[in-house]
Amino acid sequence: MAAFAGQGFETIVPDILQPADIFLDRSGENIRSRTYVFTDPSGAELCLRPDLTVPTCRFHLSHQADPRREARYCYCGPAFRFQPGGADRLHPSEFDQAGVEWFGASDAELAEAEVLAMTVAAVEAAGLRRYTVRLGDLGLFEALLQSLAMPERWRRRLSHQFWRPKQFHALLDQLAGVATRSRTSISGLIDTLAQAGGAADAVGLVEQQLAAEGLALVGGRNSREIAARLVEKALDRSERPLAQADAQRIETYLGLSGSPTDTAKALDRLAPDLGSPMVEAVRRFHRRNALMGAAGLPLDEATFAGVFGRQLEYYTGFVFQIEAADPNGRALAIAGGGRYDRLLSDIGSPYPVPAVGCAIHTERLAAACRAMTR
Amino acid sequence: MTAKLTLAMPSKGRLLEAAEACFAQVGLAVIRDGFERGYQGRIAALPDVEVTFLSAIEIAQALKDGSVALGVTGEDLLREAVPDGSAAIEVVLRLGFGHADVVVAVPQCWLDVATMADLDEIAVAFHARHGRRLKIATKYPALTRRWFAEKGVTGYRIVESAGATEGAPAAGTAEAIVDITTTGSTLRANRLKVLDDGVILRSEAVLAAGSEHLGHPVVAMLKERIEAVGIRQ
Repeated sequence: MAAFAGQGFETIVPDILQPADIFLDRSGENIRSRTYVFTDPSGAELCLRPDLTVPTCRFHLSHQADPRREARYCYCGPAFRFQPGGADRLHPSEFDQAGVEWFGASDAELAEAEVLAMTVAAVEAAGLRRYTVRLGDLGLFEALLQSLAMPERWRRRLSHQFWRPKQFHALLDQLAGVATRSRTSISGLIDTLAQAGGAADAVGLVEQQLAAEGLALVGGRNSREIAARLVEKALDRSERPLAQADAQRIETYLGLSGSPTDTAKALDRLAPDLGSPMVEAVRRFHRRNALMGAAGLPLDEATFAGVFGRQLEYYTGFVFQIEAADPNGRALAIAGGGRYDRLLSDIGSPYPVPAVGCAIHTERLAAACRAMTR
Repeated sequence: MTAKLTLAMPSKGRLLEAAEACFAQVGLAVIRDGFERGYQGRIAALPDVEVTFLSAIEIAQALKDGSVALGVTGEDLLREAVPDGSAAIEVVLRLGFGHADVVVAVPQCWLDVATMADLDEIAVAFHARHGRRLKIATKYPALTRRWFAEKGVTGYRIVESAGATEGAPAAGTAEAIVDITTTGSTLRANRLKVLDDGVILRSEAVLAAGSEHLGHPVVAMLKERIEAVGIRQ
C-alpha cells in the first residue's frame, strides 16, 4: 500500500456490498458461480464484491462530475470468491486485495509501464524474489484483425471467440474455407435469401414467415434484428474465404511466445505488409518496451505470449500477470492487471474512459514470500 | 453381518409407480409401513434394506450428502445435484423408464437461431442493445452452466424458475429456457423450439448409490435381478 500511496494514488475504501447486476450483467454467468450473491430483505439482489476493480470504477463515477477527469486510486480490502473445489490457503474464499486503478491517463504506454513497474516494486517490497512476469496485448490482436481483409462481422466474431480457443479455431477454419459449414434447421431459410441475392426483402420474408406460423415476437428481439442476422448468414455463403496467408498470420501471432524484445522483432517481421492499425500497434509495443526498460523492469526475464489474456475477459489492451511457484511447483498468480478501456462506459459512464490497473492477491503474496524464506 | 442400507424411493407420481412396478416385477415388492401415506417401508426379501420415500429431488440431495446409500431418481436431478466427474455417487443401473430430455429451447420466432453458436452470437448483440444479459430460465442451473461453458457460451444469466419454466419467454421473465421435455408438445404449445445441438442430457430413471456402498451385496443383487428381467416400458 505504501508503495502505491507514495506514487500519488489516493487511498479509497469502496463498498463491500455491491449490486449483483453490475457484476452479472458485465461478466455473465461464469462469474456468478464464483460470487456470493444474495437477496436483501427488500428483494434487491446484492453480492459481496468478488474483486475491487468494478467497485473502484463505481466509486469514480459517483465521486467525479466528469468521469474523463484523470484520477489515480489505490485500495487494500477484502474480496470474496466461492471456491468450487473447496477453499484452502492459496484459494481462500475471503482474501485481501491490494491494487491501483488509473483512469483517464493521457499517455497510454506510460501509464501501462508505470503500473507494471509499481506492481513489481510492491511485490518485491513485500519480499518476493523468485517470480515470473507474463505479458500479453489484446490491442495487438484487434489491430491485426483490423489490418486483414475481411468483412467487419467476421472480425467481430473472431475477436469475440478469442477467449475460447476451441471455438476460435473452428471459426477460423470455417472463414478460411478449410472446414465446411454444416447444415442446420434454419439452412432452408438462408438458402431462400441467398438465392434471391441482394434483391431480397429479408424483413418482409421474416414477417411473412412469422405470420404464416402465427408466431408473436417474444424474447426481446424484433424482426429487423432477426432479418439482419439471416442476411449476414446468406452473405457468408458467397463471401470470398479469408486468405490462407491471413489465417496463417493470425496463427503466427497467437503462437508468439518470448521476451518482449524478441517479440518486438517477430512483430516487425509480421507487420510490414499489413495495414496501418497493426503498424501503429507495433509502434506502441516498441514504445512501451522502451518505457518499461526505462522504469527499470528486467525485460529479458518477462515472457510475452500472443494468446496470453485469454482468461481475463474485460481487458482490452496490455495485460500482465506476476506468478510464483506454489508448493507443488505449479504457477500461481500473485498479481495481475492491464488495460480495460470499455469497463467504465459498460457500467454507466456516458463517455469512454481509458483505464489501467492492477490487483495483488495479498494472501498468495504472503504465502509465496514465506515459502522462500523456509 | 452387513450393515443396514437405506434405499430411497420416489414418494409420488409416475416415477413412484414405475419404480414400484419395476421392483415388484423382480420379486422385491416394496411394502409401505403404516397407511398408504407412510414414508417408511421395507422389502420382504431384503431384511438388510430400509426403504424411505422422498421427493425425487430430495433423493439426489440425500445421495449427495450420504444420508441414504441407494436411491431411485431421475438422472437429470442426479447430474444437477452432483458435479461432473464426481466419484461420490455412481449410477448402478439405468432403469428404462422416466425418460425425459434436458434441452435448451428458444422462441420459435427466432428464425435466425438454430445452434448454441447462434445463441452465443445473439447474446452479444442482446447485451449491446439492452445493456443486460440474455436470461435463461431453468430449474437446472448447474447443468446449464456446464453445458453452456462446454459450448463456449458465456454472455447469459440464469433465472432460477420454480415452475412453468416454459412460460418464461412469453411472460418476458427470460428469453430462453433449459427444461425437461418428453414429447416436446409443451414446448411447441409455448412456441419454443429445441436448438439443433441443444440436448444436454437424455435422462431416465436410475438406481444410484454412494460409491462406498457399491460393494454391498444388496447392490449387486438388485443390479443382477433387474438386469435379468430386462425392464423396458
